[in-house]
Amino acid sequence: MNTRTAPPGVRHRPHALELAALIVRILAGGLAVALALAALVLLLASGAHAAELQATPLRAAEAGQGTLLLRDADGATRALPTLATEVTIRVSGPLARARVVQTFRNPGSAWLEGIYVFPLPDDAAVDRLRMQIGDRLIEGEVREREDARASFEQARASGRRAALVEQERPNLVTTSVANIAPGAEIRVEIEYQQTLAYELAGDAGRYRLRFPMVVGPRYIPGAPGGERGAGHGSVPPTDQVTDAHRITPPVRHPADGARNPVRLRIELDAGVPLAALDSPYHAVRIEAPHAHRRIVELAAGSTPANRDFELNWTLAAGHAPRVALFVEPGEQLDHALLMLMPPRLMNTQQPLPREVVFVIDTSGSMEGSSIVQARQALALALRRLAPGDRFNVIEFNSVTQALFPDARPASPDNVDAATRWVRSLQARGGTEMAPALAAALDGGEDPARVRQVIFLTDGAVGNEEALFRLIEQRLGDSRLFTVGIGSAPNSHFMRKAAAAGRGSFTYIGKLEEVGERMSALFARLESPVLKGIELAWPDGAEADFWPRRLPDLYAGEPLVVAVALRKATGTLGVSGWGSEARWRTELSLDKAAPGSGLGGLWARRKIDALMDGLRAGVAEDTVRAAVLELALQHRLVSRYTSLVAVDRTPARPSGEGLQGGALPTELPEGWHYEAVFGKLPQGATGLRWNLLAGSLALLACVLLWRLQRRRSAPHPLPFA
Amino acid sequence: MKTSPTCLDCNSQDFLGIECAWPAPGCLGASPRAARLRRWRTPMLRTAFVLALAAAVWQFGQAGYIHAKAWLAQILIGQAWAQTLAGGAQVRPWPWADTWPVDRLRVPAQDVEVYVLAGADGRTIAFGPGLVHGTAQPGETGNSVLGGHRDTHFAFLQWLEDGSELALETPHGEILRYFVAHRAVTDENDLRPLAQPAAGRQLTLVTCWPFDALRAGGPLRYVVTAFEHAADTAQAEGQATRPASPSRAV
Repeated sequence: MNTRTAPPGVRHRPHALELAALIVRILAGGLAVALALAALVLLLASGAHAAELQATPLRAAEAGQGTLLLRDADGATRALPTLATEVTIRVSGPLARARVVQTFRNPGSAWLEGIYVFPLPDDAAVDRLRMQIGDRLIEGEVREREDARASFEQARASGRRAALVEQERPNLVTTSVANIAPGAEIRVEIEYQQTLAYELAGDAGRYRLRFPMVVGPRYIPGAPGGERGAGHGSVPPTDQVTDAHRITPPVRHPADGARNPVRLRIELDAGVPLAALDSPYHAVRIEAPHAHRRIVELAAGSTPANRDFELNWTLAAGHAPRVALFVEPGEQLDHALLMLMPPRLMNTQQPLPREVVFVIDTSGSMEGSSIVQARQALALALRRLAPGDRFNVIEFNSVTQALFPDARPASPDNVDAATRWVRSLQARGGTEMAPALAAALDGGEDPARVRQVIFLTDGAVGNEEALFRLIEQRLGDSRLFTVGIGSAPNSHFMRKAAAAGRGSFTYIGKLEEVGERMSALFARLESPVLKGIELAWPDGAEADFWPRRLPDLYAGEPLVVAVALRKATGTLGVSGWGSEARWRTELSLDKAAPGSGLGGLWARRKIDALMDGLRAGVAEDTVRAAVLELALQHRLVSRYTSLVAVDRTPARPSGEGLQGGALPTELPEGWHYEAVFGKLPQGATGLRWNLLAGSLALLACVLLWRLQRRRSAPHPLPFA
Repeated sequence: MKTSPTCLDCNSQDFLGIECAWPAPGCLGASPRAARLRRWRTPMLRTAFVLALAAAVWQFGQAGYIHAKAWLAQILIGQAWAQTLAGGAQVRPWPWADTWPVDRLRVPAQDVEVYVLAGADGRTIAFGPGLVHGTAQPGETGNSVLGGHRDTHFAFLQWLEDGSELALETPHGEILRYFVAHRAVTDENDLRPLAQPAAGRQLTLVTCWPFDALRAGGPLRYVVTAFEHAADTAQAEGQATRPASPSRAV
């Protein structure tokens, strides 16, 4: 047969052809569908495009410019200087002196100014400013705030280089730098002194150093209004926060990358051998030149300024100091710093029944890792409740909601219900803290129970003073304990709210710490408190000590007092009330270690106390005069004084303009930008797409059906 | 014998001629390979048909579900709203709901009446327009921002014009009248629609744009801004050109 003799390739061809025909058919069908789809999309899109142009010729252009300004630091119209920060902290025992060097660099071709809002430790006494231009160093001077600003503005306008450091909050500072030449840089050096947090955990003495790096975006309550003076922030002043425009720097979207690098070096001399040293949030490189000393640097060299740095060290067993006394002799007055650890009190009495109210911040700033930590901490705390306790849980964002109308017994059912409720909490909306505090603090007094309020928040609010006042007014016999959550909590709020609430504060910065820190807090809540502490200074010392109202001390907390006195000599008596017995001790002022910068620390504490007087109703003029005198004498930055450094000769030619402005800060790590700044709602369903896809699928059905019918018909034979 | 390509064409008459003595085997269906192909073809086509039919049913079902959910939920929400007006607080329209009606929006000219829910996340606005968390509650001074789907509850936004009247009923039964001051298309990252007005009450309606886009999730938003009193409109136009001030929703 001829076909049998045909070459193999040819024999296969008929089937191959048929298969190819089928494939071509399918492809053609697909192509047709795709073309139809593309045509449809094009048709709809072109209509849409036309409509867009009609709808917003102007606003779209505006929006584009607005975002460019914030997003692109090197934008052609409004360039900003770049910033790099270098921090060196020298620690000696419980004292630390830090130098923060901010280098503002102008990469562009126009003359620039830079304004940077950043945090410092809330008890930092800022006492020095130096501006470095090339090799020249210009020493800053402390001036009354308005004075300093006027002198800065004058220098800025006349083309002279100048730097200004202003305090917005005790832990919030603004640096302004004017007239940075194209391609040049200005270095601003700020120095401060602080005391470190010390605690006794068991028998081990532990120090904590916290260096905050970023100001979390603050919620500003109140209705907009008021004078918008020298401000650069993104939120206008409101009736409740009159300086909102000074504490709300622009925030960079995390997707745009981090650009404010910080280098950090800590030279630590503990004075006694160290047992352990750890940095929970940053990888560090540690050198140990001596048993008492450590040098700590960031392992990565630098870090984005988006979360607080913390360093904890434990002293070797048996070396935990119970008393530390430093004296700095002065011309007229000696200054001294006293740290005294009271003995551990024994729990001899039957503990009173407790009423615990948990308050959890569920505002948008808590979204992300913070709310996870807070929920975990709360779940843990609920499990710690004893059956005889009573409790309630309050959550707040724009609105305040309580789990129960009143405190309920901590029965397994109630605790289970609370645990489920806490697990379902979502973080969104504003931070209206006042109603939540008012709900938690009832102002009541009942000696038959102990009432404790545990407040979990990041403290990202701008109306701190009003809240402290509210706490003081409604406290009654309750005690308020703040738990600072997240990577950049507001340390000023945590410390002061706890002080106003006569409790204490703690921090949780990552999920792994929740267990340890909450256990420590509970240990504190369950131990007796040393109250009514009194100091008996030697006769004729004329001691002016701060804080004047000594706080109650919780287990492991030391008494820290800064004092100015005529002569540091003689014997100081300290006494207080434990659970039932009076505790008394004496110490000699003659056996003191020499210290430096103690005058500044003392003045800082006194200023703190004077500012607290404002809440108690002391006239602002009185407070202002007293603070001014102290701050000017000790060269300190305060609410009423600023540091300013001005170059003598003009640098910027009068024809050249000055550009730049507020530098964006990073968003704290773990925060969600959209949860903080809001997001326009998404308003579309897949409806149209569903209908189109459905129609196409239906079309395919019809085609396939017809194809099948044709195929299943008998094949026409030749001759048929 | 010679084999020519024409012999392989079943429809060719040429195989009756001299060149081909007999049609190619493929034309007779005698080849086992061809038979196998034919055997496979039918189930393949049938499977494709069933799949296409399933896809059609699924897609239409989805579309129907979206509409049914949007429509049915509003009825349940309406009942919850009645209880809210009667003094209830945060009345959940169905037991497992994580939202509740906060006000009722009416557009007299469009004959539209929808219940607005608390929260404007995707889960909520499937049931009705939502009040963005952290923006002013209706009745409070400030900016109340509502988000809704452009293809269900907020489809009417495309027909609104400057000066159109919007009526908002608050949980206290108070009726607030707003008048559209301007309409704009913005990028989803432009947060100015969330900004607070200097004074008075503002209502901002946001939906996806363009209205006739096929897919959800585009970057553009259609923003309708309305102020409480007609007199405010002129003042508000002036404000619209003010520099951006991000929301206070921390």
